[in-house]
Amino acid sequence: MTTLTASTSESSTLRPSRRRPDRGRRREVVAGYLFALPFLALFAVFTVGPVVASFLMSFTDLTARDVRNPLSVEPVGLDNYAKLLSDDTFGQAAFNTAYFVVIGVPLTMGLALAVAVGLNSGITRLTTFFRVGYYLPVVTSIVAVAVVWRFLLQPDSGIVNTLLGYVGVEGPSWLRSETWAMPSLIAMSAWRNMGYLVVIFLAGLQTVPKEMHEAASIDGAGAWNRFRYITAPMLRPTLLFGGVVTMIGYLQFFEEPFVMTRGGPLDKTLSTAYYTYNQFGFGNYSYASAMAYVLFVVIAIVTFVQFRLLGDRD
Amino acid sequence: MTTSTRPEPAAVSPIAAVPPLNTSRPRRSGRSSVGEPHPIPWVYVVLTGGLVLLVGPFLWMLLGSFRPDRELDVVPPSFLPQDPTLDNYRTLFTELDFVTYFVNTAVVAVAITLGNIVFCSMLGYALAKLTFPGKRVIFGLVLGTLMVPGIVIFVPLFVLVSNLGLVNTLPGLIFPFLAGPFGVFLMRQFMQSLPDELIHAARVDGAGEWRIFRSIILPLCKPALATLGILTFLTSWNMFLWPLVVAQSEERYTLPVALAIYAIGENKRDDGLLMAGSVVIILPVLAVFLVLQRHFVQGIAMTGIK
Amino acid sequence: MRTWTTGWTRGATVAVLAAVALTGCGRDDGAATQDTKAKKVTSGKASGDITVWALGAEGEKLSEIAADFEAENPDSKVKVTVIPFDAAHDKIATAIAGGQTPDISLVGTTWLPEFAATGALDATPTDLIDPSRFFEGSWSTTDVDGTSYGAPWYTETRQIYYRKDLAEKAGVTPAEDWSQADLKTFAQGMQAKGGAKWGISLQPGGQGSWQSVMPFAWQQGAELVDGDAFTFNTTAMQEGLDYYASFFEEKLSPTDLSAEGALETGFINGEIGAFVSGPWHMGILRDQGGAGFEDKWAIAGMPTEESGTSFTGGGDLVVFKDSKNRDTAWKFVDFLTQEPQQQKLYELVGSLPAVQSTWESGELSTDPLLKSFGDQLQDAKSAPAVATWEQVAAPLDDAIEQVSLGKSDAKSALGSAEEKANGIGFGN
Repeated sequence: MTTLTASTSESSTLRPSRRRPDRGRRREVVAGYLFALPFLALFAVFTVGPVVASFLMSFTDLTARDVRNPLSVEPVGLDNYAKLLSDDTFGQAAFNTAYFVVIGVPLTMGLALAVAVGLNSGITRLTTFFRVGYYLPVVTSIVAVAVVWRFLLQPDSGIVNTLLGYVGVEGPSWLRSETWAMPSLIAMSAWRNMGYLVVIFLAGLQTVPKEMHEAASIDGAGAWNRFRYITAPMLRPTLLFGGVVTMIGYLQFFEEPFVMTRGGPLDKTLSTAYYTYNQFGFGNYSYASAMAYVLFVVIAIVTFVQFRLLGDRD
Repeated sequence: MTTSTRPEPAAVSPIAAVPPLNTSRPRRSGRSSVGEPHPIPWVYVVLTGGLVLLVGPFLWMLLGSFRPDRELDVVPPSFLPQDPTLDNYRTLFTELDFVTYFVNTAVVAVAITLGNIVFCSMLGYALAKLTFPGKRVIFGLVLGTLMVPGIVIFVPLFVLVSNLGLVNTLPGLIFPFLAGPFGVFLMRQFMQSLPDELIHAARVDGAGEWRIFRSIILPLCKPALATLGILTFLTSWNMFLWPLVVAQSEERYTLPVALAIYAIGENKRDDGLLMAGSVVIILPVLAVFLVLQRHFVQGIAMTGIK
Repeated sequence: MRTWTTGWTRGATVAVLAAVALTGCGRDDGAATQDTKAKKVTSGKASGDITVWALGAEGEKLSEIAADFEAENPDSKVKVTVIPFDAAHDKIATAIAGGQTPDISLVGTTWLPEFAATGALDATPTDLIDPSRFFEGSWSTTDVDGTSYGAPWYTETRQIYYRKDLAEKAGVTPAEDWSQADLKTFAQGMQAKGGAKWGISLQPGGQGSWQSVMPFAWQQGAELVDGDAFTFNTTAMQEGLDYYASFFEEKLSPTDLSAEGALETGFINGEIGAFVSGPWHMGILRDQGGAGFEDKWAIAGMPTEESGTSFTGGGDLVVFKDSKNRDTAWKFVDFLTQEPQQQKLYELVGSLPAVQSTWESGELSTDPLLKSFGDQLQDAKSAPAVATWEQVAAPLDDAIEQVSLGKSDAKSALGSAEEKANGIGFGN
């Protein structure tokens, strides 16, 4: 670590070192803003604007019936938020979401990491073939995925129950069972979203220079130790990214219950995002906004914790 | 540097490459050009097993696209089409104004992908490697919006786009998504792993900031850029709800919207057409994936400047 | 009439939002300022351009029918944009929010009250369009608080499809005015002697199951609203739901038909003896049943208790207030509800016309299956014309699911649904 500062100051002894930092500093700041400008301009107009508008909306009682004259809504303060606390369905949806995330995120990340490491471990043949294969569920339309999974999970003739039947277990009606519907959806999501993470982790694994592995294995480190002490630490920013992105995605999971169970049975697979979508469908725009921002707060807290745990640089 | 959480022994730095290692060691069998030296045979087995599981539904979709309507509704369905037909594809290309929809979808997806690659890498670099006041606020803001459930800005965004006169235009489909927080987050994380020495050295050599970014940083980021390109292309190509709402006339429809119109009726779904359409819709995404995934293999890119 | 929030929260709210300059805002406490009186339409030929949003299959064929209108009214042009059926509700709602509505749109009958409540729809000029020409159930879907918006275009209703051959074998062929008890006996017979695994297939809760249950409740004389409250928990409602749930209890209906196409497959191979559906299934059964299947099935009307009511849905055409060419828009709507166009719609798409006189000629009057739908349309009801119906229907569907699966009894489930529904209110 000190070698780096040493090297810089070494090379700069040839130039006057006092002026350089100021000019360099300012140049860096200007560059920083210029690099940021195009993104921020678009972002401010098309993202920040609507976000602020919808946030303000959550403090009113705006419904679809008011959209033609939006300024005539009444501000109701925290009413929408208070209503959420006494909304049983919201409580169920929140629980379902937590359940999904707590099990689903580690499962998906673990599987994806294992696959990525496997794909990166010098498999020379068929690399492309494997990569494409693992990416396919990600690109396959959710409708096709739903048809197949529903078929797999059929109580009578589905493959899963047939296989279970061979070992003498009578499989339940997966999607209509209050206990098994959610685990089924978790399995389906892990299966489907693994591909995203494999792609990301693969890219991250590429930044681990092979010299390190060579050096380590020369020193006698086995595969597991190499993974633990070299790969994993270097992968940290990527892991953080993968973890945060998956967590954010899963906290907002919507598609799977929407096509597979419609939130049933009896709201046992209703997610917060799905419930919010329903409320938008009913025209309860301000209530739905409040719900969305509660979800946002949860996501923010969880993300913050992740950043702390996985150690962010800045 | 002292607060870095990464191990940074001098030997690691690619600049201080370790030539003696490469020349004096005999090559071990099965070593590939990247990653870890030993491929373990059972890895193949496990990966292939997983692959079968994953490819299943896609195969299903593919086979289903060649089935006539009758067969698709039979439960349980047979594995291979018993009466294969090209009818679904025929309907797809003749009854739908396929070319228009394809062009619309392509223009939108390419524009959004390129835009994200450029803008997000620029901001990502600034956040990862440059120092300037307000950096943390900007990152917080970007990350924050990533955490806002998308559905909630839908209506205000539409009202905005409508007031800007962008309804039923391709820019209306493109502009809201050119600055995606996901891309910034991705690029920032990747760029953090890049060694600072490269930048310092280049500055010392008198290179301007843009030159450093373009000629040094970007080439090193190929895996990240490829990843961003693939993922952005995928999501923008498959967008459904926004193009549906923004397009007011059929000339502006994208493929997913058109497919939904023709394949999903009030009481009956044309599954064959849906499958055929889904297969066709996937192909460009797969093509982009195939093209860009080569860049996952960094090879010797990391082993030196220029 | 809105009531203000309690003192201190209101004060806090005003303080918080004062900086955002919302102090000048607020809804009028008085009556709605909506103009609900329909304006007259001028006579003579139509002119100018109009845009029409159409959904699904009917939408695709609309251009053909529109061409006839353009021929009759050479100064006008009709531009048809087809939108997907699934997401149409979202698209129309968002368009209203963004002020980007077309001149005319087709809407699902259960959506109309909610769009009307936004004030975006134009009231129907009843001098131009005569309500009595339509089926009562269909016209009622356009009526919100005494004012009509738009006009029905096509309609549908539900009846009982059954395996004729199995019924004959079991000796339980449905009679013209059979009762609910007869229907039960029928299902039992189909199972015991007809060889079917399930006597009849009904929807055990889930989205939209109220459409399956309500006919049986309506037949007992139940109503969904009374005045300005929902009445889900009346004796008649309980009776209807209990009757419905008994089919599941007695294992006459399956509680789990999760696979796509399982219903049709089951019916064709004789596992399922009967099911309830609308006219679209005629085409599906003909397509899938293959040669010779046509003789094996028939359609029976709903059983009769106090009445033989079924559910009716369909599509309504609405004109938007922001339309720049209101005259031509209404003329086009009127055109579409004339007999020749209604007949043409049936021929092109197979959708049932909402105009009664169309049923007096052609296939609609001769084909016995179609005729039975026509007869059922004389006694069919729809959801109450309340803006919050979709939201209120969700607790009702939940109650149906609970009772169907045996998790609750009708009285407590319906009681809880009624409470939730009245908590949501009519959305005024």
